[in-house]
Amino acid sequence: MFGKGLLQGLGITFKRMVGPNITEFYPEEKPNLPTRVRSSMGLERDKCISCNMCAMACPNSVIKLTSEKNEANKKVLKTYHMDVGRCLFCGLCTEACPTKALKVTQDFENAIFEAEDMHWDMIQRAERKRKVE
Amino acid sequence: METLNYLLETLNNLFLIIADAIRGLFADPHSVWANLTMNVINFIIVVIIVVLAALILILLERKVAGWTSQRPGPNRLGPRGWFQTIADALKLMGKEDVTPAGADKFIFKIAPMIIFCLPMMTLAVIPYGKDMAPINIDLGILYFVAISSISTLCFLMAGWGSNNKYSLLGGMRAVAQMISYEIPLLFSLLGVVMITQSFNLGVIVEAQGTIPFIVLQPLAFVIFMIAGLAELNRAPFDLVEADQEVVAGPFTEYTGLRWGLFFLGEYGNMTAMSALAATVFLGGWQGPAILPGYVWFFMKVGVMIFMMMWVRWTFPRIRIDHLMHLAWKVLLPLSIVNILLTGLGIYIYRFVMGG
Repeated sequence: MFGKGLLQGLGITFKRMVGPNITEFYPEEKPNLPTRVRSSMGLERDKCISCNMCAMACPNSVIKLTSEKNEANKKVLKTYHMDVGRCLFCGLCTEACPTKALKVTQDFENAIFEAEDMHWDMIQRAERKRKVE
Repeated sequence: METLNYLLETLNNLFLIIADAIRGLFADPHSVWANLTMNVINFIIVVIIVVLAALILILLERKVAGWTSQRPGPNRLGPRGWFQTIADALKLMGKEDVTPAGADKFIFKIAPMIIFCLPMMTLAVIPYGKDMAPINIDLGILYFVAISSISTLCFLMAGWGSNNKYSLLGGMRAVAQMISYEIPLLFSLLGVVMITQSFNLGVIVEAQGTIPFIVLQPLAFVIFMIAGLAELNRAPFDLVEADQEVVAGPFTEYTGLRWGLFFLGEYGNMTAMSALAATVFLGGWQGPAILPGYVWFFMKVGVMIFMMMWVRWTFPRIRIDHLMHLAWKVLLPLSIVNILLTGLGIYIYRFVMGG
């Protein structure tokens, strides 16, 4: 029939019109990321035993940590810095961590204005996150 | 039931009652001054209809465009983005008005004004309800088509006045396209005129009390829709302002409120054409008496406008030679065949009825 294609086209657009939208309202609604996304790092200070395994596992030597001994002669974490500019988010550090203190998280809004902000102070970040929650 | 009927009757005649009340304020309700006042009020109402239609339709167009491509459309300003057009209009008002060097200044400036006047003039003869035509003239259809064909001239004026090759090209295309499609448009309306024996839009609507003319004249309706889309320069016939080919055609050099006037005129013309289609083919204000006549009328206009938007966001643009072929080789013969068939039908009907 002449003009069949035209009607077919109208049908398709009408179906699209009444069908659901596929737009994501990003800033208002956070997207559901796939479970295996690795986009940020998080540290739980209390679990960390300052064994330095993560720093040794890191292929790009991103992680720098210092510790001091307390009265019971146990190591306590003092500073923990990550130079994220070099970080691959490969997750080797989290695999090396014996206490699962270091974890890959799915926070993704990591944009910054200054290059210095790439040096993450993980202890500070953990505290800030706890406050937000 | 009695009171409900009375209420409906009152609602149906609401505007007539208001008009009578205003006329009643004068010593002689049919003096020159009373008529003048009523004409001014009618004019203001038509202007409000045009501006409101443009404001709503621009947003609706963007919404429909969004929905067809699975987006929500504008959604930032106001509830679900319904105030977007107001912000756009304010932005247009704040913009600088540039007249290009070497432009034919008078023609350049007067073209958008004329195109904005046309929908007001055409919408003035449409019967919005029973006896609710702002101006009731006997040659309504002829007047409507004559006035709406002036828009060809506006596009050519804008194209010529801009001193820009793309604008002139667009203006030339407008002339070629709109004059070609004028003929099938008129011929498609002729079938209805033959049945009703009248050019008066009010009489045509009255004649559709039992059955709308879309049933008797389906071919004419299809031809009218296609030719009407081409008359309005809307996609898939938007060769006049085809962005990918001639920038924006005659609108290329326009800025600010002048460009906005073109936009208002375009959507006003769209409303007028939909109103004519609703009046002539869909039965105008006729409808089941559960709603007032003017509500039925505007619902039909809305359906026609939605059809136009739906078509726009579905089909790609037609090529210019195909456009001409469609007008002269397909639509024109079909519309003449339609007139012939209508004449035969009327003859047979009279023969059978013995009239």
